[in-house]
Parts: sequence; structure tokens; C-alpha cells
Amino acid sequence: MTDKPLKANERPPAGAEEAAGPAARDAAGPGQACPAPSPQERGVWRKIMDRFADHCRARSLFVLHYCTGCGAIELPPTITSRFDMERVGITPMVTPRQADILLITGYLSIKTLKRVILSYEQMPAPKYVLGFGSCTINGGMYWNSYATVKRLDQYIPTDLFIAGCMPRPEAVQQVLLQLIEDIDSGRANAWRDYYRNYDFYLGNQQALFGPKWNTPTDVIGEAEHYGLAGEGTYGPHTKLLAESGGTPMELARAERPARAITGRRKP
Amino acid sequence: MTIPAPLDEVLGELPLVAARLTAPRRVRVDARPENLPALLELLKGRLGFFHLSAISCVDWLEEGQFELVYHVWSDKLKLLLSAHVRIPREPGEYVSIYDLHEPAGFFERDIHEMFGVVFDGALSLDRFILTSWDGPPPMRKDFDARKYAEETFSTVNYHPDWLKDIEAAGGGLEE
Amino acid sequence: MSDLKQIPAIPDPDAIEPSDVYDLYFGPNHPGIEGNYSIRVRLSGDRIIEAVADGGYLHRGFEKIMEERLWMQNIALVPRICVPDPVPMEETYARSVEMIGGLTPPERAQWIRVLMLETSRICAHLFTFGGNAATVGLYTNMFWGVTMRDLFLDIFEEITGARIYHIYITPGGVRRDLPDGVLDRLEALLDELERRMPQFEDLFFNNAVVINRASGTGSMSAEQALAWGATGPNLRACGVASDIRRDDPYLVYPQLDFDIVTEEGGDALARMMVRKGEVVQSVRILRQVIPRLRELKGPVRCPLPNPLAWDLPAGEAYARTESSKGELAFYTVSSGGPRPYRVHVRGASSMHAVQVLEHLLTGARIEDVAQIMFSLDACPPEVDR
Repeated sequence: MTDKPLKANERPPAGAEEAAGPAARDAAGPGQACPAPSPQERGVWRKIMDRFADHCRARSLFVLHYCTGCGAIELPPTITSRFDMERVGITPMVTPRQADILLITGYLSIKTLKRVILSYEQMPAPKYVLGFGSCTINGGMYWNSYATVKRLDQYIPTDLFIAGCMPRPEAVQQVLLQLIEDIDSGRANAWRDYYRNYDFYLGNQQALFGPKWNTPTDVIGEAEHYGLAGEGTYGPHTKLLAESGGTPMELARAERPARAITGRRKP
Repeated sequence: MTIPAPLDEVLGELPLVAARLTAPRRVRVDARPENLPALLELLKGRLGFFHLSAISCVDWLEEGQFELVYHVWSDKLKLLLSAHVRIPREPGEYVSIYDLHEPAGFFERDIHEMFGVVFDGALSLDRFILTSWDGPPPMRKDFDARKYAEETFSTVNYHPDWLKDIEAAGGGLEE
Repeated sequence: MSDLKQIPAIPDPDAIEPSDVYDLYFGPNHPGIEGNYSIRVRLSGDRIIEAVADGGYLHRGFEKIMEERLWMQNIALVPRICVPDPVPMEETYARSVEMIGGLTPPERAQWIRVLMLETSRICAHLFTFGGNAATVGLYTNMFWGVTMRDLFLDIFEEITGARIYHIYITPGGVRRDLPDGVLDRLEALLDELERRMPQFEDLFFNNAVVINRASGTGSMSAEQALAWGATGPNLRACGVASDIRRDDPYLVYPQLDFDIVTEEGGDALARMMVRKGEVVQSVRILRQVIPRLRELKGPVRCPLPNPLAWDLPAGEAYARTESSKGELAFYTVSSGGPRPYRVHVRGASSMHAVQVLEHLLTGARIEDVAQIMFSLDACPPEVDR
């Protein structure tokens, strides 16, 4: 076993997030081209623009077409003729760069979680994560398995969970409509939590993947750009990140099967 | 129901092979480890046992042995034969039958990943499923998966009001 | 049209310039991959010279957690091993436990099990139908297939309470008897399916683009299929009439009248035609099962002890089933206790998604990767368990 840091502590209390807003923005320094102020401190014009943007955004959501687990079998019924989520503007999208919703359909094995985090960080803000099924809530059926993670919201911030094993298309519809309502009213802001408490999420990721865990996305840079960097963004784990030498490409190379593409044994 | 005569004849040619019929169309053969590749070759060549259905591994921790079971199917005899061999747990090595049955490539790699058995001459012994894993082979009986899961992953500490009421009345959860 | 299929021979890897070679990751986030799976291909132009399958994204450690649960509790776990076609998983596990314990389910339960198995086969093939068509750009099929399948899932919901994971077939029989009227509804649905089959066929098999894309793609001969361990529709599409329901029969299949559908060619088109034929045969089987269930009365479970305190004798069993994907087998070992000592699941896709896929992709073109994988009906959860 490699020498992994212990599990991360519980996330900082909720009060710290909102309080970190203005002070963090001032402390972040230059590069505030696109600050994301908290709802209370927006100006009137900003409020109108945000309301309009949320209204439009809620009616045209792209779900990343990544079938991470069992629950993906109920997605074709939800999207096709019988339950038809396309009539509310929700449709699959293949690249994370143009997707809004990351639907984690079921359990996450450790190998998949790495790719999910990479995809999540590739998605542009604002982005929404839905935990689909009991496995994302508390481990579900695989609560004593050595290979699956038990709580999704410790690794990436989650907006809504759908209970069920597996959830019916009607339940999926209900949650998607709830998400549309939340986006429309400006409540679906879990993506900011990733920037505000990056140290917490990174700590959990490092506890699972090793202290050299690193992704190509500069999350701290993005946090500062959006003006969301605060006390929870920096910490001992981001310090480890800065010191780590491995990039995910090197990690992937180290873990891929060594029966890589060399000559095949002729049949 | 008895073992069909052609099979009985072939099995009689090898020393110390015990065979019996366990269910309709199921024959169990206990072979010595050094005889097994020859047995499978005879079965394939003479009696049409072309199809390797699976190779299973069972960990008998107290006896210090791994049991490898080779399930082969013959379309000619309409019979499934399970050939059992026992190898010592340490060092956990055996010979590969990839040259005889190509499906063995998948199963031998799987058994190597999950149990740590090394097959000499296998197609590949690299990780296929457990590429992010750095613990002991997880299917071994001395690996406690539940303890590992509790230590590595955190779960929700669920303590709702109704449970508090039950605990106040003297009841509660059993551990 | 035939000159488009004159694909030149596989280039010799040693003769290719290093700068002409490109390594590409297919998946796991890819709509052309069936499920959460990854293939790494080495390309020269758009020809694949080597492919390596990479699984493990769906690994849950099933075989380990099954050892920690009671015999009856594992029924809740087992359908989740194969997501599109979960019923054969339950049935094979239940049968392997019955073989160890010396139990025989009552006759009515066996007929109900056949009903569930064949209906699940129809559902799985309708699902694959859509996925296969989507790989060549024909998306209408997916809508038709998935919606038709949904109507069958309503029947499952009526019988068992759940659409996908039924937890219905238990060692000893099935959990409860069929509700009133469900057989009539199933018969009406089969009439509807038969009425629509010509439309499905017309849309998929009478389409020049599909025929051109699918014929000759991922073709294997009968010797190759047998040597590589292919089973099920993939093997029958090469002309080999091998079906576990005939060769190693279980439940009441010896009493049923059905044909084994085979095709020649072993390519993607032949495999889809075999699956279409299997849907027709499954409807034929169901039409024999339904009247028999109407007249047969009896219990649906044999008497069992308390499942929380049920010790099975020591022993082992190897149960095989013909699932919609191929040969499914469970090797269950009991050391005489309330829990299994070892459960080894052999999914059909263990061969199809790994070695058969790698063989078929060598020499194929990059645009055919999705079609080859979907036509093999490779189900990654079965490989990873």
C-alpha cells in the first residue's frame, strides 16, 4: 500500500462560504474578468442579466453522455419517445466542453471516478451534477465493496440526488424538472462550492488516488478568475498539489496495462 | 446415469484421475496438477471438448491451497466436465493452457489479478480490471473487504429523529 | 456497391512508418462504446493495426461481496451484473443454488421462469436493435426499440414490482404468483410486437446504408468463433447451431418447440439477423408458455426454511444459461453454511468484449469500431463484475 494521507475531514461549515465572498474577491488580486458574486451582493443590472441567462440556460440543458454505471439503462427510456425529456430541452451531448449536466448514473468505481473528475473539471461553469441512484448517496447496494466510492458529494459538489435502485424515468423527470426550477430561480450553485472548498474536495481525491493526484485543469486559477477563491480553496492539500510532480498523463501511463500496443502474439 | 464409455476410456489412460457424475451432463474430475494439461489435450483431441467455458479459482485458506477448476464442454458427448486441481497457496504458480484453449487468456489474467496465481506461459498477466489497485489480491480469503471499505471510504452518519426516539426508549441499532 | 467492400489486406506493422501511426483512446466517455468501457487502438490512417481492450470501470467486487451475504440476499445483488438483461443472472444463480441444495422448483414456477427469461430476451434484443442502428447513424430505430421495450417493462413491473432489477426468481421457485390478467396483457403486447415487426425489419434491414455498412464488417469464420470462445448469437451468426437451451437444457425447454436461428457470414449484419430471428422465436415460445400457464395450477415455491437461517450442504454446481448475449454460467461453491464460499460468474461478454473484440478490430476501419462492438452485444458489466 502506498503512503496515502488519511481521509479528509468534514467540509467547513456553510457560513464560511457566503462570508468569503467579498473579502475573497478583494484578496484574489488582478484577473477578475468574470467574477461570480454571491446572490446578495449583485447589482440590479447584474441581477436582470443573470435572471435572463438562468431562464434561458434552464431551458436548454445538455447532459453529458457518459454512462458511468447501471442507472444508464434508464436514460434511453427517459430521453426517447415515451418519457421524452427532449421536449424540455434536455438532450445528450458527447463532449464535456459543451455539456451542462453531469449525470452520475449509479455507483462509481475508483477507476471511473478519476475520469468523472477529469470530465467534471473540463465542463465550463455553470455546471450541475446529479447523483442518480442510492449508490451516490451512501454506497447503496455495494456498501461493503472495496471497489466503489460511497459518497459522491465528497469528491465533486452535487446539486440533487435521485433516490432509487434504480430510479424510474418518472423520478428522473421529476428531478430534472426540479433542477430546471432551481436553475431558473438561481439556486443551483453547487459548482461554486468546488472553487470555494477546493481543498476539501482535493483532499478526498488525494486520499483515494494518492498524493500525486493532479489534473490538467487549473482549478485554483479558475477560482481566482471567478472571484470565488477563499479560505477553503487553499490548504494543505493544494500545497501537496503544487509540490506534486505527476500529471494525470503520467499517472495514466503508469497505471495502464503494460500489454500496451507492442507486437501481438500471432494467432 | 453413468459416465459415457468413451470418456471413461480416455480417463482410464491417465494415472490417478478420479471421476464421477455429479448431475445430469456434469462430470467432476479430480486430477493431479502435472496431469491436467495432458488431460485437457486428450479431451479436446479425442472427445470433442473444444469449448472452454471458464476457469475458476477457489481459495481454501485453511488447507493452504488454491483449487483451479477448468470447465470444458463437449458438443459430441453433450457433457460438461469440470477438472479440479489443487496447487499450494505459496508460491501459487501453475502452467497456462492458452496454447490449447484461447479463452484461457482472459480467465488466467483474471485469476492472477484477483488471487495472485502466476500462470507460466499465459497470454498476458498485466492488470485488466484492477489497474488502480495497489492492495493485495482482493479475492483472497485473508483480505477483509468490508474493513478496507470502512477505512478507505467515508459514509453518511445517519442519525434521524426517529432513531433518537428509539434510543431514548432503550432500544437502538445492533452492531 | 460491392467494390466498396474490397478492403486491402492488413498492413504489416513492421512496414509502417512510425509517423503514420496514431494511438487513440476510445472511451470510456464515448457514445460509440456500449457502456463504460475503453478500447485503445493504434491506427495507421483509418485502419486499426492493433486494439487493446481496457475494462475495470464498472468493477464492484461482486464475487467478494457475494461471499458475505446470505444465499437469499444475493438475489438482490445478482441481477446487477448484467444491466440490459438481468433475468438470466437471477435464474442461473438460483439454479446453481438449487443444484447444490437438491431442490426442484415446482412446475408452475418453471414455466413462469421461462416466461420471464424469454420476455427479457425480447427486451434485450429490442434494446440492442436500437443501439446497433445508432452506430450507423439511424437513430429512429433506437426510439422504436426502446419504446417497444418499455411496454414489456410494464409487464415486468406488474409481475415483479420493478422495471429492471426484479429480484423475483429465487432459489426454490419465484417469489409470487402472476397477477390476474397479466397473461392477457402480455398476449396483446405480443400481437402488437408481431404487427410491428415488418416495420422494424423494413426500417433496419431494407435500408441500403445499413446493409452496406454492416455486411462484411467484423466478420469471423466458424472456426475462428469457436477458437476465440464466442457463444450465443455471435456464434450462431457463423452458422454453428449451438444453443444451451438445446444442448444442455434446463427448466421446461425440452417441452417447448422452437428453432435455433443461424445465419451464414459471421458479420455484423448476420448477427443482427440472428437476433431478429431470436425475437421471433421468443414470441413463439411465449405463445406456448402462456396457454400452459393459464391451465397449470400449483405452488410457485418449494417449501424452504427461514432464509435468514438456511444452511446449504457442502457442494458445488456449475449452472449454464443461454442469455441474450451468449453463454452465462455460475460456478457456486458451498462449504456448508448460510453464505456462499465462492461464486464465480462467467459472463458471455468475458470473451466477446475482450478477445473477440480485439481480434475483430484488427484490420477494421475506425468508423466501424462502434458497430463491431454493438453487433457483438458486448456488455461491460459482465466483464468487470
